[in-house]
Amino acid sequence: MRLPPVLRTTPFRLTLLFLALFAAAACAFLAYIYLATAGEVTRRADTQVAAEMRSLEAVYARGGLAALNQAVIERSSSDHVLVYLLMDRTGQAVSGSIGQSPVKIGDRPQTWASFVITETNPDGAMVRLPARGLQERMPGGEWMFVGADVGEAEGFVVRILRALWGAGALVIVLGLAGGVLVSRDVSRNMASLIDVIDAARSGDLGARAKVRGAGDEYDELAGGLNDMLERLERSVGGLRHAGDAIAHDLRSPLTRLRARLEAAMIEADAGRADPKAALHQALDDADGVLRTFSAVLAIARLEAAGDAPDQVMFDPGQLAAGVAELYEPLAEDKGLDFKAELTPGLNVKGNREFVAQALSNILDNAIKYTPTGGAVMLRVRRRSSGDMEMSVTDTGPGVAPADRARVIERFVRLEHSRSLPGVGLGLSLVAAVARSHRGHLELDEGPGVGGETGPGLRVALILPKVG
Amino acid sequence: MRVLIVEDDLEASAAMAKGLIEAGHVCETAADGLAGLGAAGGGHFDVLIVDRMMPRLDGVGMVERLRASGDQTPVLFLSALGEINDRVSGLKAGGDDYLVKPYAFAELIARVEALARRRETGSVQTVLKVGDLEMDLLGREVRRAGQEIDLQPREFQLLEFLMRNAGQSVTRTMLLEKVWEYHFDPQTNVIDVHISRLRAKIDKGFERAMLQTVRGAGYRLEA
Repeated sequence: MRLPPVLRTTPFRLTLLFLALFAAAACAFLAYIYLATAGEVTRRADTQVAAEMRSLEAVYARGGLAALNQAVIERSSSDHVLVYLLMDRTGQAVSGSIGQSPVKIGDRPQTWASFVITETNPDGAMVRLPARGLQERMPGGEWMFVGADVGEAEGFVVRILRALWGAGALVIVLGLAGGVLVSRDVSRNMASLIDVIDAARSGDLGARAKVRGAGDEYDELAGGLNDMLERLERSVGGLRHAGDAIAHDLRSPLTRLRARLEAAMIEADAGRADPKAALHQALDDADGVLRTFSAVLAIARLEAAGDAPDQVMFDPGQLAAGVAELYEPLAEDKGLDFKAELTPGLNVKGNREFVAQALSNILDNAIKYTPTGGAVMLRVRRRSSGDMEMSVTDTGPGVAPADRARVIERFVRLEHSRSLPGVGLGLSLVAAVARSHRGHLELDEGPGVGGETGPGLRVALILPKVG
Repeated sequence: MRVLIVEDDLEASAAMAKGLIEAGHVCETAADGLAGLGAAGGGHFDVLIVDRMMPRLDGVGMVERLRASGDQTPVLFLSALGEINDRVSGLKAGGDDYLVKPYAFAELIARVEALARRRETGSVQTVLKVGDLEMDLLGREVRRAGQEIDLQPREFQLLEFLMRNAGQSVTRTMLLEKVWEYHFDPQTNVIDVHISRLRAKIDKGFERAMLQTVRGAGYRLEA
């Protein structure tokens, strides 16, 4: 038989375990109480019996057998809790409240005994009461027995026991109910986590566990799970996207390459033309494919690495100056007004190589998309927050606000740029570099529409401040 | 030039050897690091091409042992997919250059030849000469046919590298690495602009152009 789910949870099992432990402890406790109380009751009866015996001995010492006999008769007839029996030397009953002693006449002058008194209670029913008794030989050789029932005291113990059992039952019922409630609470919390895990297992990486804001270990677990899924989703999404994009970006150049080679072969077979030109074109196409390939690899590696490796302190102004020097002739040849405003003496921590590559990609894009006569400005400065900003502003066509988030994604190239060389990986790589330095990428409008130029674009790579 | 290719991908190794032999070099191959170490032990190679990932003994391990034994033969590392700091660890292990697969064959040849050449011209030179082009490294002066040419510092470095590798193709990536010390592939052929500026300075007004473009490979400075 399967237990209902709530009874199979860990907290419920723990509840059962604790209840079992409690029950065992309660049994031990009850046993101790019983033994201690019962012992006490017996001791009290013994004390009472012994005191009575001494009193009777005193009567015997003062007035002899006759006085003792008189006292026994008196005490037996009064409504006394004790029982008495006076016997002669042979053990024959002389007087008393019971007919026969439960103790045999023996050699020992003094014998303690536990026995049972049978009584008729007021309803006429027979009651058997446990009792303690003492039998002693008087100086004249007669035997005296005094006993006391301990029933009254035993009843007290029984009542205590009954109360304890009741309390135990109450504890067990409350414990079980509490266990069920706690289990249901835990189950509910776990269920939402398990639902998310199940969803993720069946391929839905978008599922998120609810964080209730209680700040307890469930929230911590849910937060961790969500964070893990977030990263997983991004990296799987990236891979999927990269796969699509590679297929898309490599298919056309490969198809072109193949067609060119095929055409060249036909021409060469027919002896019509020198296939050299076609081979040169094919080589260029192959280089393009390789370039796309290494750009994809670079982004994938960077994203797989988490934090960029080999980070050192460096002067971003100096680094930007190097990149500017590399690109200045390109801008000049295109007839662009190129300026660099580099704050000297700043410090930033990062992988020089990646930051240089990111900056070169931003600059490359700006020069590529800004029409002749426009301007490109490279700026490195420290923000008031302490973060480092490396930005490039151009007067090109800009990027519509709605498209800005998209161009940072891998491989996205906006329609108007399709005719220009480049594989559309530039800003994706910059974004990957920013992420691997715990920084970010900002896209804004440039200086605005002026003359024949577009609204322009301002791309800023923000790296967190040092320390 | 004698080249040893240490590569466990036999197909790639054979293709590489074929290309190098066609380019006029002598080639031997080894299929793993231990075999490569044995073959290189003779010390009669000008350049070793070593794959990073190989069975038995990987490329880094092989080159470390080679360097420990005092062998200074130039090594070009090849890496299949390359971790992010592969290049750094490869160069630390004693490699002299690094190429990530997939690469253009022209790139491989250019780099191998540059490595071999660097070894030949080990002695310190103060004057470089290629044809009628002359470079004074101490005076930072360049003359062609006795006529002084004024170069920017970077143009000077660019020409120096081309002159040291005169007669051989150098790729754009090599120039970016050796002259600008950037180890990435720029999206645009930004190097071309620098080359054309340099060309304007050293070839303008002369009948013969020294700085030539090699299709599919890069550039070559011809005497």
